[in-house]
Amino acid sequence: MSEAAEPVVSVSGLSKRYGATWALHDVTLDIHPGEIVGLIGTNGAGKSTLIKVLSGATQATSGTVTLAGRTFQPGGPLDAIAAGVQTVHQNIDDGVVFGTTVAENLTLDSLSRRGSGWFTTRARTRAEAREIAASVRLAAPLDAPVETLSASERQRIVIARAVSRRPRLLILDEPTSTLSSVEADLLLDTVRQMAAAGVAVLYVSHRLAEIEDLCRRVVVLRDGRVRRTLTAPFDRREVVEAMLGDAWEALDQGRGDAAAPPKRDLPRVPVLAAAGIRTRPGGEPFDLEVRAGEIVGVTGLVGSGKTELLEQLYGARPLSSGEVRLGGLPYRPRDPHAAVAAGVAFAAEERSAQAIVPGWSVRAHVTLPRLRHHNRAGLLSRRSERGSAATVVERFGVRGPGGPAPVEAPMETLSGGNQQKVVVGRWLEASPALLLLDEPFRGVDVGARADIGRTLAQHAADVAVIVASSDPQELLGLADRILVLHEGDLAGEIPAADATAARLAALMSGASGAPGAAA
Amino acid sequence: MTARAVALVQRYGLVVVLVAMLAVFSLVAPAFGTYGNALIVLQSVAVVGVVALGVTVSMTTGGFDLSAGACVGFVVMVTALTMVRFNLTGGTAIVAGLIAGLVVAGINVLLTVVAKVPDLVATLGTMFLFQGLALIVTSGQSVSAGMTIGGSPAPGRYTGGFVWLGGGTVGSVPVPVIVFAVLAATVFVFLNHTRWGRALYAIGGNAEAARLAGIRVGRYRATAYVISGLCAAVGGILLSARLGRGDVGAGDPYLLQSVAAALIGFAVLGANRPNALGTVVGALFIGVMINGLTMLNAPYYTQTFVQGALLVGSLVVSYTGRRERKTT
Repeated sequence: MSEAAEPVVSVSGLSKRYGATWALHDVTLDIHPGEIVGLIGTNGAGKSTLIKVLSGATQATSGTVTLAGRTFQPGGPLDAIAAGVQTVHQNIDDGVVFGTTVAENLTLDSLSRRGSGWFTTRARTRAEAREIAASVRLAAPLDAPVETLSASERQRIVIARAVSRRPRLLILDEPTSTLSSVEADLLLDTVRQMAAAGVAVLYVSHRLAEIEDLCRRVVVLRDGRVRRTLTAPFDRREVVEAMLGDAWEALDQGRGDAAAPPKRDLPRVPVLAAAGIRTRPGGEPFDLEVRAGEIVGVTGLVGSGKTELLEQLYGARPLSSGEVRLGGLPYRPRDPHAAVAAGVAFAAEERSAQAIVPGWSVRAHVTLPRLRHHNRAGLLSRRSERGSAATVVERFGVRGPGGPAPVEAPMETLSGGNQQKVVVGRWLEASPALLLLDEPFRGVDVGARADIGRTLAQHAADVAVIVASSDPQELLGLADRILVLHEGDLAGEIPAADATAARLAALMSGASGAPGAAA
Repeated sequence: MTARAVALVQRYGLVVVLVAMLAVFSLVAPAFGTYGNALIVLQSVAVVGVVALGVTVSMTTGGFDLSAGACVGFVVMVTALTMVRFNLTGGTAIVAGLIAGLVVAGINVLLTVVAKVPDLVATLGTMFLFQGLALIVTSGQSVSAGMTIGGSPAPGRYTGGFVWLGGGTVGSVPVPVIVFAVLAATVFVFLNHTRWGRALYAIGGNAEAARLAGIRVGRYRATAYVISGLCAAVGGILLSARLGRGDVGAGDPYLLQSVAAALIGFAVLGANRPNALGTVVGALFIGVMINGLTMLNAPYYTQTFVQGALLVGSLVVSYTGRRERKTT
C-alpha cells in the first residue's frame, strides 16, 4: 500500500434534506489512508448530518459514499461499524456504562461478538481489557468503577474501544470539548498514532488550534455545502472567514485577537467581595472582588476548581471557608434558591443535564428562574412570559431553523449555540447583581459565541459577571481581567490587556512561580 | 404509518376511542345513553378520579404515590372510628380523615425527601404500613354502627350529614361527582396555570435544572405528596360516606384503578406526562367501559382484564415513537 493509495472513503455529491431545508448539499470529500481531515463549521452547518450519514444513523437523500472501493450504504449504525466506520460522539457518557468497571467497559463490544461464548470470565475480560488499554496508553486501573474516572479517561476508554475494532475510518466528533488542554494534547497524540497506522480520520472540532495542529486538510462547511477546503499550512483567519461568512465582522468587533474590551468606568464599590475563599478544603485561601459592569474571567485546566468556585458562590455547594459580601451585605446562600433571591444567577457547565428540561419551549426555559415575576393573582401570565422570552430572543439573536426562534419552539429544535443564548439570556433578563457563567461557550459555534459576548457587554453594564472557561482564548476580548486557577489554588491574575496565550498557559500549567503551585 | 399519522393517533387516539365507545354502547344498549346512566357512570368513577388526581400530582415531579389506595382505606377506617367508636360529629370525622391523609403524606415525605429512599419503594413501604395500621386500630374488624367494642355496643353511628357526602345530590347531581369536578378543575388550573405547577413539572423534567434555576426541589416534592395524600383522604371520606361503614380493605382496589387512570391520561391529547385533564378522561374511560360492559352482560370478572388491556394500549400510545413531548 503506497501513501497515495485509493481514498478510504469517498463522498460524492452527497445531499440530505429534512423537510424543506437541505442539511447537506452536494458535499464531496475524500479521505486517504493515514490522513486526518478536519471538519469545521458553525452550528447547523451540516457537520452533524454528515457524521450521521457516515455512521449510518441516517440515510442520505442523494449522492454516493464509497468505502474502500465499495459502495457504502449502511442501513444502521451496526452496518457502518461492520464496514469499518467507528464514531466517537461528543457526549462521552453515552459511550460508557456506569456501575461497571473499566475492564468491563473496554470489552463491551466483545459481548455482542459471535463466538465469545455464553459466559464471561473475569480473567478473560481483564486480559482483553489490558490489551485494549495498552493501545491508547490508558493508565486507569482496570478494576476501578468507571464513574471514578475523569472525563478524559472515560473518553479514552471510548476511543480505545473504537480503535480495538481496527476501523478503516474513525470519526471524532468534538472529542476535546470537555477536556483541558493537557488532556487534549494526549488525545491528539493518540489520533496521530492511529493515522500513522493507516486509519483515515475525520476530526470535527470547534477548536482551530487543534485543527491547525493535527490536520493536513480542513473542510469548512457552511449551510450544508463545502465552502472551502484548505491545505496546511492554512491561515486561521481564512478558516474562520469561510465558516462565518457574513458574521465575520460581528466577530471581529466582539472579540478581536487578544484585544481588551472597551474601557468602562467601573464603580469603586464591588458587587461581590469575597475574602479567604477556597475552591477546595485545605486549599490556599484567596480574595475575589468583582464590580458592577466588570467581566472577570476564570480559567484553568479541567479540575482546577473553576466550577467549585462558581457553585460555592451560587449556593449549589457549601462555602468551604471565608467571608462573602454581596452588594455590601453578608452573603452565604444555603441553596440556589437563596442565591437567586439575593440577585445571583448561574448558567451551569452541562447545558443538557443542568439547564434543559426536555420538551419545554424557549418561553418556559426563559421564565423558569423567575416564575414569581410572571405571577398574576396566583396564575402565570402567558403574556408576560412571552414578553420576557421575546426580549431574550431579540437581544441575543436566538435563531431557530430558518429565522428568529419562535418563543414557543421546543428547545430541542434549536442548535447548541442558540440553546446557550437562551440559557444565558434568561438570567440577564432578570437583571441580576452577579452573573456566574460556567463554560458558556462549550459546544457553541463562533457566531453564537460572538453574539453572547457582545450582548453581555451591551446589556450587563451594571451586572458583575464571572465567566469560567478552560479555553482562555474564549475569555480574550470578553473579560476585563483573568484569574487563573491551578489545582484548586489561585495561580495568578492578569489584566486582559496583558494576557497572552503563552502567559496564561504558563499559569494554568503551574509553571510560573505562582503561590501554592511550587512543587 | 407516516410520522404524521402516528402523531395524530398519539394526540387524539384515546379521545376517538372513548367517543366511539360511547356511540357503540348507546346503540347496542339503549339504557346506556341516558342522563340517569351518565350520572351513574360519573358517580362510579368519582372516588377513583379524586384519588387519581392526587396520584397525578405525585407523578409530576417524577415521584409515584403507591400509598394512595392504602391511604383511602386508612381514612375510611379513621372516619368510621371517629363517628362510631368515639361518637363525634361528621365534621370532626372529615377533619380527622384529612389529618390521616396528611400523616400518610408526612411519612412519604420523610422517606423520599428526607431519607432519600426512591419514591416507588418508599411509597410501597408506606402502603404496607397503613394497610396494616388500619387493621390494627380496628382489630381487623369492620367498623359499623352497633358493633360491640369490649362487650358493649359502640356508642355512635354515621351522621346524616356525613352520609349525604356519599349519597346526597345537589339538583340531580351526586355530591361525589361535584367534589370530583371541583377538584379536577382545581388541579388542572394548579398544574397548568400556576407557578407551582410549572415548578413541579420542571422537577419532573430535569430536577437538577430546576434546582439550579432556584427552585427548592425538596419542598415541591413534599408538596406533591401532601396534595396526593389530601386527595386520597378526600376520596376516603367520600367512600366512607357511601359505604356507611368502615370496611376492612375498602381502599385496596383504588390504587391500581387510580394509577391506571393517571397513566391512561398520559396518552390524552399527546400530553405524554401526568396531567389533570388526561386523568379525568382516563377515569371516565374506565367507568364507561365497565358500565357499558355490565349493560352488555359481560361477567364482572372480565373487568380487571379489560382495564389492563386499556392501560397497556394507552401506554403503547404514549410511549411508542415518543419524540415530541408537550411543550410548556
